[in-house]
Amino acid sequence: MDFSLSEERKMLQETVARFFESCYNDIKKRSEYLNMNHGFSREFWKESSNLGVISGLISPSFGGLGGSGEDISIIFELIGKSLCIEPFLSSGLLSSTILSSIKNPKTELINQIIDGELLVSFAHMEMNNRYEDHFVESKAFFENENWKLNGSKSFVINGDSADKVIISARIKGKINDKNGIGLFLVDNNQINNRSYNTIDGYRAAELNFDNINAELLCEDDLALECIIKANSAGALALSAEAVGIMQVCFDLTLDYLKTRKQFGKSIGSFQSIQHRMVDMMLEIEQVRSAVMLASSTFETNSSTRDKNISAAKNLVGRVGKLIAEESIQLHGGIAMTWEYSVAHYAKRLIMIDHLMGDADYHRDRFKLLSSN
Amino acid sequence: MNFEYSENEEKFRTEVRDWLKETLPDYLSEKVRKYQRLTKEDYELFMNNLSKKGWIAWHWPEEYGGTGWNAIEKHIFEEEIVKASAPRIVPFGVNMLGPVLIEFGSEEQKNYYLPRILNNEDWWAQGYSEPGAGSDLASLKTTAIDKGDYYLVNGQKTWTTLGHHADKIFCLVKTDLNVKPQLGISFLLIDMDSQGVEVKPIITLDGEHEVNEVWFTDVKVPKKNLVGKENEGWTYAKYLLTFERTGIAGVPNSKSALNHLKMVSRKSMKNGKPLIEDPLFSSEVAELEIDLLAMEIFNLRTVSAAAEGKAPGMESSLLKIKGTLVRQKTTELLRKALGPQALPYLPEQFDEGWNEMPIGPEYAGSIAKQYFNMRKISIYGGSNEIQKNIVAKASFGL
Repeated sequence: MDFSLSEERKMLQETVARFFESCYNDIKKRSEYLNMNHGFSREFWKESSNLGVISGLISPSFGGLGGSGEDISIIFELIGKSLCIEPFLSSGLLSSTILSSIKNPKTELINQIIDGELLVSFAHMEMNNRYEDHFVESKAFFENENWKLNGSKSFVINGDSADKVIISARIKGKINDKNGIGLFLVDNNQINNRSYNTIDGYRAAELNFDNINAELLCEDDLALECIIKANSAGALALSAEAVGIMQVCFDLTLDYLKTRKQFGKSIGSFQSIQHRMVDMMLEIEQVRSAVMLASSTFETNSSTRDKNISAAKNLVGRVGKLIAEESIQLHGGIAMTWEYSVAHYAKRLIMIDHLMGDADYHRDRFKLLSSN
Repeated sequence: MNFEYSENEEKFRTEVRDWLKETLPDYLSEKVRKYQRLTKEDYELFMNNLSKKGWIAWHWPEEYGGTGWNAIEKHIFEEEIVKASAPRIVPFGVNMLGPVLIEFGSEEQKNYYLPRILNNEDWWAQGYSEPGAGSDLASLKTTAIDKGDYYLVNGQKTWTTLGHHADKIFCLVKTDLNVKPQLGISFLLIDMDSQGVEVKPIITLDGEHEVNEVWFTDVKVPKKNLVGKENEGWTYAKYLLTFERTGIAGVPNSKSALNHLKMVSRKSMKNGKPLIEDPLFSSEVAELEIDLLAMEIFNLRTVSAAAEGKAPGMESSLLKIKGTLVRQKTTELLRKALGPQALPYLPEQFDEGWNEMPIGPEYAGSIAKQYFNMRKISIYGGSNEIQKNIVAKASFGL
């Protein structure tokens, strides 16, 4: 075993870290970016592409420069540290994962994503399907030599700014059948979308579509496999992002405990507070370890991949709540303000548990996968 | 012992309920139910109704305008106003300052201020916390210098809830800088429209404006606005805090949130079935309900043991700790019950008259916001850590 990063990856880490920190040096920047037309900074996105951040999420087989579990984790941990809101998850990871996993990979589209020109969102969740991979109600049918889609998708991250959308829809069967699902590529200008900000400061949209034209990417087993793979990649990425956020929460809290004085001394000098910081520290190391394990088995395409990712995401849900709540509590009132950054980190950390499966979902999935 | 409500108590409940049905306008309870932003007039409407009925100062001694209710009746009353989705009673005048004036105020102050509180003529704010004085409240820095017939006040207060609506503020100020902090504090009543008072909004993590900073620059305050004796304000401050704490336990609010949680988890789906049928989730709800059940009795035991017009002592700290944790847990489970439906945040949804389609079920929009907002309750009114210090100091003899 070797727990250290290769020289190449260390370089990636340093370059990306410097770039993110320079653009997101102030929490106010984030609100500025969110208020832009697309819900993020298009300029920052293009610059990320130039620096190879997007290609770091994609395998060399499809024109990228990375795409391993380790690469994804390194980049998303840094995204967490800066709370970047650009479409790294939606376009950079989820959509490119699907476009590269189908029988005839869409390498040209992937290259346009890498170049920062094309945005593709993955629209799988529906209003009532919670976190399931195979609960799909939207319908697909074949008519006059064309695929058509009917239905709606919810909580589509960057669903407003995407040029194209990958939609899961049911070709046949009941809402919860594992068979009969297809993945389709659609031009977003055919879709009626209602965009909004999420409570943690990202842009998402509700999509409604009625008999729109679609291109079939894959169906049945392969479609379900692609959905699971994309959701697993997303859960890994969000777990790594959470590690970055937890570290920032911890550092900000420790810093505050050293400077804030009450009763004539720094509040960090009280033992009851120190013990709580130790609890936080050790839980963060637990999460970091689980995420490292999950990244190392990401490319195996096996149930081990999903079991380890579920372990990581379950821990992220549980520990994330601890870190978010303790960071606010140990700061006191100042952490309740919009102006101070820790609240924004805490909000994102909590809401990560509402994406790609929460702690309960991944605990259940872990139970299934570890009993096989 | 008897844990049943008596016939009279049930009759009292019906009386309160009928009165609320008759006097609380539908639009207002709807706003409260939807967590829409309340205007100053919204709060005042309900409080004026209470005043007219003689119910506003329900925990004051009867001779000062209290209702003479026993602990059980008070509990029933609190429960019914939460159930009816009435706006909360703004506590700073009637629940906090009132009892202090009754106990420590001069006759002149009682005669002037108490009727005004009973009639909602003044909107009071609380001037306790400062940027450098939170948990360690006694280390406050706002000064009031004796200038003969007035005090000259300089300093800054913070976390002033609804201070942007206030006409008056009661403040802890330093009147002696040369003694141990607790010994040099006085309790001063200040008009918000005095020259040199400035209110600045603080926007909280949920994007809302409820709290403020209040700045004092060379503000002249007449000597007659001093409550009790100079430099003995710390005693009055602590007396007030026991009243503040007891309210924060919020048993009726948690009960109503628990019902809401059950409704939401019946409607939320997991694997094609209502979430409430998920054994692990429903166990969490059941444990929360058990905590709340016990806490309700704990609360009633404590309140019943306190003398009329007085707040309980050390137990109010225990109740504050448990009460805030239970309330926070209900908001956590609500958030969890929603799954991804907790993500969208439409700030305009909380404006009066908003009538667009919500994203997902109507109840979804406020839940994550409430979860984050409720983080404050274990911080304010003396953080839970400070309550533990109070209890340990008062009870263990260590």
